[in-house]
Amino acid sequence: MNKQKWINAAVQAGFESFEIYQQGKNERSWTWFEGKIDTFVTSRVLSTSLRGIYSGKMVNYATEDLSDDLMETIISSMKEQAGAITADEPGIIRSPQPVTEAQSQRTWVRPSAAQIKELLTEIEKRVLAYDERIFMVMREGWTEETETRSITNSLGMDLADAGTVQVLVCGAAAREGNDVKNAYRSEVIEDIAAFDRDAFVEKLCTEVLNKLNAAGLPSGTYPAIFESSAMTALFTAFSSMFSGELIAKGISPLRDKLNTPVFSELITVTDNPRRPEAAVAYAFDDEGCPTCAKTIVDHGVFRTILHNSQSASRMHTESTGNGFKDAASSPVGVHPVNCCIEPGEKSLDELCRDMKDGLVITDLAGLHAGINPVTTDFSLQCSGYTVKDGARERSVTLITVAGNFLDLLKQTAAVGNDLDWKHHTIVTPSIAFKGIAVSGE
Amino acid sequence: MNQLVLNNTLFVFFLHKGYNRTIEKGQVMLNKEQLEYCLSECMKSEADFAEIYEELEHSETIKALSGKTEDVNQVITAGLGIRLYKDLQSVYAYTNDESEDAVAALIKDLTEALGTCDKEVHLSLDEVTYTNNNPVEIDYMSIPLEEKADLLKRANDAAFSADPRIVKVQSELLNVKQEVQIANTEGRLIKDVRVRTRMMVTAFAEENGNLQSGADRPGAGMGLEFYRTVTPEETGREAARVALVNLSAKDCPSGRMPVIIDNGFGGVIFHEACGHSLEATSVARNMSVFSGKLGTKIAADCVSAVDDGTIPNAWGSQNIDDEGNFQKRRVLIENGVLKSYMIDRLNARRMGTESTSSSRRQSYQFEPTSRMTNTFILPGEDSFEELFEGIERGLYAKKMGGGSVNPQTGEFNFAVNEGYLIENGKISYPVRGASLIGNGAEILKNIDRVCSNLKTGQGMCGSLSGSIPTDVGQPTIRVSSITVGGTANE
Repeated sequence: MNKQKWINAAVQAGFESFEIYQQGKNERSWTWFEGKIDTFVTSRVLSTSLRGIYSGKMVNYATEDLSDDLMETIISSMKEQAGAITADEPGIIRSPQPVTEAQSQRTWVRPSAAQIKELLTEIEKRVLAYDERIFMVMREGWTEETETRSITNSLGMDLADAGTVQVLVCGAAAREGNDVKNAYRSEVIEDIAAFDRDAFVEKLCTEVLNKLNAAGLPSGTYPAIFESSAMTALFTAFSSMFSGELIAKGISPLRDKLNTPVFSELITVTDNPRRPEAAVAYAFDDEGCPTCAKTIVDHGVFRTILHNSQSASRMHTESTGNGFKDAASSPVGVHPVNCCIEPGEKSLDELCRDMKDGLVITDLAGLHAGINPVTTDFSLQCSGYTVKDGARERSVTLITVAGNFLDLLKQTAAVGNDLDWKHHTIVTPSIAFKGIAVSGE
Repeated sequence: MNQLVLNNTLFVFFLHKGYNRTIEKGQVMLNKEQLEYCLSECMKSEADFAEIYEELEHSETIKALSGKTEDVNQVITAGLGIRLYKDLQSVYAYTNDESEDAVAALIKDLTEALGTCDKEVHLSLDEVTYTNNNPVEIDYMSIPLEEKADLLKRANDAAFSADPRIVKVQSELLNVKQEVQIANTEGRLIKDVRVRTRMMVTAFAEENGNLQSGADRPGAGMGLEFYRTVTPEETGREAARVALVNLSAKDCPSGRMPVIIDNGFGGVIFHEACGHSLEATSVARNMSVFSGKLGTKIAADCVSAVDDGTIPNAWGSQNIDDEGNFQKRRVLIENGVLKSYMIDRLNARRMGTESTSSSRRQSYQFEPTSRMTNTFILPGEDSFEELFEGIERGLYAKKMGGGSVNPQTGEFNFAVNEGYLIENGKISYPVRGASLIGNGAEILKNIDRVCSNLKTGQGMCGSLSGSIPTDVGQPTIRVSSITVGGTANE
């Protein structure tokens, strides 16, 4: 794509400013089943997203077809878009600003195909040998992906970065009598040579075996700990509440709540796309604004609204560098990146000992449907285990937990220390709550 | 050296043959000779089958807030995926760079992954033509954006007119036109154009600081003529109605109880509790609770269900599946007995049977696998009123949200967006914040009443091969006992 040619054509067509965002992705992945390669996938994809300001309006067009003879049609469609937009807010394309590099702690060593096959063979063997109740290894696979990102605009911005990720995924199924359960585990691996295979197999197998012979639980209100992965999933599902886009529209539960207590004082939430220990570090967001560290909730008090340029303009403030896209073809939204609930002092075992009797929730399902982001009400299928006298008692399944997320966070009893940045850009440690409604038998 | 030779060969070939032009100026698809050449190159390997899937999709989303058009996003998706089989192994490559170098590199990656050889395959493709089962009357691409934005304005105005407590209305119009071309080494070359439209309206009602929402999201596999029969005004009013009901709703009680699930999107219970577990993706590897159960009783006598991709202009319909086979009506369950799974080509090999034309994918970026189309429970004979008889305390789930399932264990969940408590056989008061959970194998046997009022609802289904449009549906049904997750413990 001749970017300058497209930018010049847009400017000549009357655009006040014009921007080209490109994301390139190269991927190789293998899946393994019963001792041999099941599938192999390779891909090379370049996505291009155009946006421009015409008659003061922001317009968007994403295309995977970069033929120059399509240029005129697309630019003309973008002008038509401007005529259809009736919202009053002026669109904004950013001028370049100095960006300092984000230092990632990750060092990726790309393995050979032979090393990957050896790893997948070995993990499959070890999982099957772990316990006679484990009868199947499923969807075992290795994926490696390199991603490039660039932003070029008519105001002189010309930014680019690149990232890599390598992930091992493995599922295991176990049977005891008629009871069948499964579990999946993924691990981001920088260097296969340094990967602890035994620990991975141990965690996966323990998880699936612990699920066997799970029973229900009588309905009631229980003290509960959301284990780190379950709490991360729940917090992520509600993380749009900090978005300036939704707050400006008046449909965030935190509208009109800035500088007021919204959670327990035990809860502090921070966001820093540059965080070096995270899986990916971003020096700039998807509209070229430099990223920075910020405290969103400080000891329970809501202190910072996240913004992109557009939402910041609506609320007469500055972007916080949180203008990220859902996908390469999406318009720029507002998203927390490398955001966490800050860890406390205690391990999960210590949280269980302090709780004495209660419930630990390890898995949540149905998060795409069972939550209401406006009211923060939720009702979700879950599984986990009961705790008696501070120790694990028995596994539970097919129960629901229900409540209101804001109320739940006000009921925080303690925050754990088990924060793990390996997999996600939004994470939390395990958190203990004074009580939650459980529906079961 | 190999790559260079292959690249050069393809380059000369492309240069002389030129391109076909399709939907948009600029974008191309491979022509018959190019496809034959590429497929032959694929077979210079240990592959026993090869397929090329090409896609060109245009989509547009118009978003409005409280009557003002805020965003328009248009997207062109254009790329191809090449798939090779060797017995039960599959290798897949995709790209949106359709230059000769890129396609050649993909073929090289794939043939090397399976093992190359010098066998010469002379291939002749026959293009299959057919009558379009999903005709479009008003092509959205020929209508100015402002006219389409006006459809949202009509929905917005109707929602606001419903009640002064409606304070905001978010609305979205989605239009998609996807053109696909599929060619394989069995000599088949076939094309399809899939058009769909959907309007999504969320209304927000506020009273004394209590903000609640309600939504309605109808759609179809047709052009803008859809909005003549399902008017934007109806959609706006329905979203407002649900938001207003939720304003006065109380917390939902929890525990096991009988539940009446209304027609239409209520069919998500069958989709989650049973449908996914009948897909060959899970069945072929004994990863489903219904593996090995063909011909056996898996549901109550009153339950018969189908997956039908041939319903003209339905949201989940297509002329052909994503492996180029004509869509079918599949009877899944007849009077409680399991009659068929949903099977794609690769899993048919694994299962030693034939494909049921059930292969689908979101785009060229996904390898296809067995998926649902329009899946619903067939009508029974009970009347709506009869379903409430004898229920001392239960839940009437009028409007459902989405759900999910673990096919191997059968454990599923789904959300209730509009619900009412039933007391002594009558609707008592609205409740909110409910979900339903259970085990698919158990729930199918607990359906004890089926009405005659079949209706479908539209959803996006996410699974291994991406997010695809599917209709769910059913008449109103009664489940004698299911766990309701709520907050009001008593």
